[in-house]
Amino acid sequence: MAEVKVKKETNLSDPAEVENRIKELCQQFPHGITDQVIQNDMPHLEPQQRAMAINKLLSLGQLDLLRNSAGLLYRLKDSQSTSKMKGSDNQEKLVYQIIEDAGNKGIWSRDIRFKSNLPLTEINKILKNLESKKLIKAVKSVAASKKKVYMLYNLQPDRSVTGGAWYSDQDFESEFVEVLNQQCFKFLQSKAEAARDSKQSPMVQRNSSFATSHEVWKYICELGISKVDLSMDDIETILNTLIYDGKVEMTVIAAKEGTVGSVDGQMKLYRGVNAIIQPTGLVKTPCGLCPVFDDCHEGGEISPSTCIYMSEWLDF
Amino acid sequence: MTAQEVRLCGLLLQEHFGEVVEKVGTHLLKSGAQNLRTIIHETGLSVDLVKKSLCVLVQHGATTFSSGRKGLGSPTEYHTSCDRILRILRYPRYIYTAKTLYGDTGELIIEELLQRGHTTMSSTVKTVADRLTQNMAEGRTMDYTEVSSTFSKLVETHFLQRCPPLPGTPATPGTPAAPVNTAPPTPESFPECYKVPSVTLIGRGKRQLASEDGEEQRSAKRAKMDPETHGDEGIYWQVNFERFHLHFRDQTIISAVANKLDQTSSEIVRTMLRMSEVTTSPMATCTKPLSANEIFRSLPPSYNILRPILDQYLTLLVDDPMEFVGKAGESGGGMFVVNLHRALANLARATLESVVQERFGSRSARIFRLLLRKRHLEQKQVEDFAMIPAKEAKDMLYTLLSQNLVQLQEIPKTPDYAPSRTFYLYTVNQLPTARMLLQNCYKTVANLIERRLFETKESKRLLEKSQRIEAILASLQASGAEPEQLTEVEEMITAPEKQQLDTLRLHINKLDSAENQVDETIFLLESYINSTNASS
Repeated sequence: MAEVKVKKETNLSDPAEVENRIKELCQQFPHGITDQVIQNDMPHLEPQQRAMAINKLLSLGQLDLLRNSAGLLYRLKDSQSTSKMKGSDNQEKLVYQIIEDAGNKGIWSRDIRFKSNLPLTEINKILKNLESKKLIKAVKSVAASKKKVYMLYNLQPDRSVTGGAWYSDQDFESEFVEVLNQQCFKFLQSKAEAARDSKQSPMVQRNSSFATSHEVWKYICELGISKVDLSMDDIETILNTLIYDGKVEMTVIAAKEGTVGSVDGQMKLYRGVNAIIQPTGLVKTPCGLCPVFDDCHEGGEISPSTCIYMSEWLDF
Repeated sequence: MTAQEVRLCGLLLQEHFGEVVEKVGTHLLKSGAQNLRTIIHETGLSVDLVKKSLCVLVQHGATTFSSGRKGLGSPTEYHTSCDRILRILRYPRYIYTAKTLYGDTGELIIEELLQRGHTTMSSTVKTVADRLTQNMAEGRTMDYTEVSSTFSKLVETHFLQRCPPLPGTPATPGTPAAPVNTAPPTPESFPECYKVPSVTLIGRGKRQLASEDGEEQRSAKRAKMDPETHGDEGIYWQVNFERFHLHFRDQTIISAVANKLDQTSSEIVRTMLRMSEVTTSPMATCTKPLSANEIFRSLPPSYNILRPILDQYLTLLVDDPMEFVGKAGESGGGMFVVNLHRALANLARATLESVVQERFGSRSARIFRLLLRKRHLEQKQVEDFAMIPAKEAKDMLYTLLSQNLVQLQEIPKTPDYAPSRTFYLYTVNQLPTARMLLQNCYKTVANLIERRLFETKESKRLLEKSQRIEAILASLQASGAEPEQLTEVEEMITAPEKQQLDTLRLHINKLDSAENQVDETIFLLESYINSTNASS
């Protein structure tokens, strides 16, 4: 009896045993374990010993400390990443962890400084170190061109940083957008004209003048004017600009799940339209377009009698 | 009564009625209702002149008089409003519409009434018959009955209406004196507004004899002392501008439908509007519901549309995002209405967009339409949706903002409105922007008129010379001169002078037609603003 008791005690009070037990628990719960779980498993372990064991594991880099709404979570770090950090000291590990947490979007150096409370020079040194080890990379953000965000080496930068398909090397490609704009419009316009010339009943005519966003997307892909792969969402943003140009109108119809191009049971249809009025009368006069309209009054330097725009327009 | 409106009214009054009337009219516009003594005192004109000007203004319906503010017994006050005077700009359009609908006779009737303000039927008919006979071939004259029938037609379709009897004077013997009310009665409040009086008019138009040619112009102005009476004394007629406006509005809607959809749809809308011409009140939001059966029966026979095809067209009209036509029920094969106010709002919006497009370019127009659709957007969102590079988008937005076409709405996060902690949203308000553009239109028309007057004044000497020469030519021709004398007189105008005259004529025509074009914009914007007033 006495031996067993002793054994149990040694079992429990031996720090290495405690650590191993904790690691086993972590392995059992890959999502992470709370303090509560450890306490339930080893109820006679004093909190101080527990804390010591956990700290040891953390410093060895075998355990990850996370926080969720309930409290602190401990998670087993996979061995691969542990090996990566061999040879780096704690600060580097901290910085690396912060960058890893930022995920896709990357994190700015000032934010790293805030989170780690390390001085700027240290941060810079560490970042250079990590970059040379090819663990992180710097990506220029499109929103602020001088800002550099850091993220893990093998991660694909998020669209909000690079700007997506419309940006190449931080430059907004307006000609590309314009070309796409015109191509989509031509496609829809020719479809509408074909429908009008077909002389069928008006309902059929109207329905055949519609094109789904999927059709437009396929057409653009087949045209091959884009070096970058465009998704249907990209095409929809282009079609939206055409709506804002007043050349195209859109309706949404309910579609069966599974039909090509339907998103959440609905499809967007686009159709080329004509303007409802001719350019209005005011703009046919020089006053309608005059840049100094507000300064013009009779007897002043700029007046209708001496207006050079009017003279040019009258002599036209 | 904005400054631009007053300026434009002044110019119009000056052109049509002369300087004295202009002075009195603008004074009344600026100072509101006044009595005779104040007007005389403040304009500094003589009593006679002021009285005559007021007569002219009242005759044309620009000024109304009512008993004074201090109650009965105080001197009558005269009140002028801009609206009636601004209609003068639209006279050519009215006359042209009458010509298309009722031919030359209708055109001349409307022209007479517009020139004279208020006249009786008999005098109009006689004058018009005389004028028509003037232009007809030798030996043919115009019968009064033809002119009378056109007049009656105009009254039936409500293009002409009776002038309301004056308050305080007994309209016909036997009726009690009308109760004094402070608001001026509208013509429509009288039941006999559109009743054609039984007039005995028998006769034919008189052709002016050749010997009276020189006096032609003067005699037209001189009131003919006609000994005959025709039984319609005291019944004066005026042009019903509202009816013309409804007609213009219908035409604009029809052409918009034709542009957006196709000819057949516009014909259907035209039929619907024609059927509701007299049943819909001018301020109505939409026409009375018409069943598809009625529409089918009333379609012009030249369009053989089958019934199911008509139904399809109606469904398409209802589904159109512009919402010209709406469905109001299912009885009778579907009840359909034309949404007038919504159509006007859409047309006004298209006008605003076209102004922005022509003035600032199609990218700014894209931003403008985007803001109209999405109401409130941040700057970043504007750039993203419109797919315009950030720098250019910023530039365009600020230009639009400086021209007041786009407004900025601040939403603070903290009570102290600190710029770094406030949301700035761009927005477009359609109604205030429309009002601003309307004022710009008034200013534009005033500018065009002033330019025209300036150009005429510049070449006054030349114009006088050419007029003199024409008069000499005419008299020489009448008295049978030889060709050499004629050519000699013609050569008094040198070639460059002739060219100058031609360019002058060209300029004036261009300015005139530009005025009419801007007037179309004015009409659209005014109708839109009035429609929002009525519904609010």
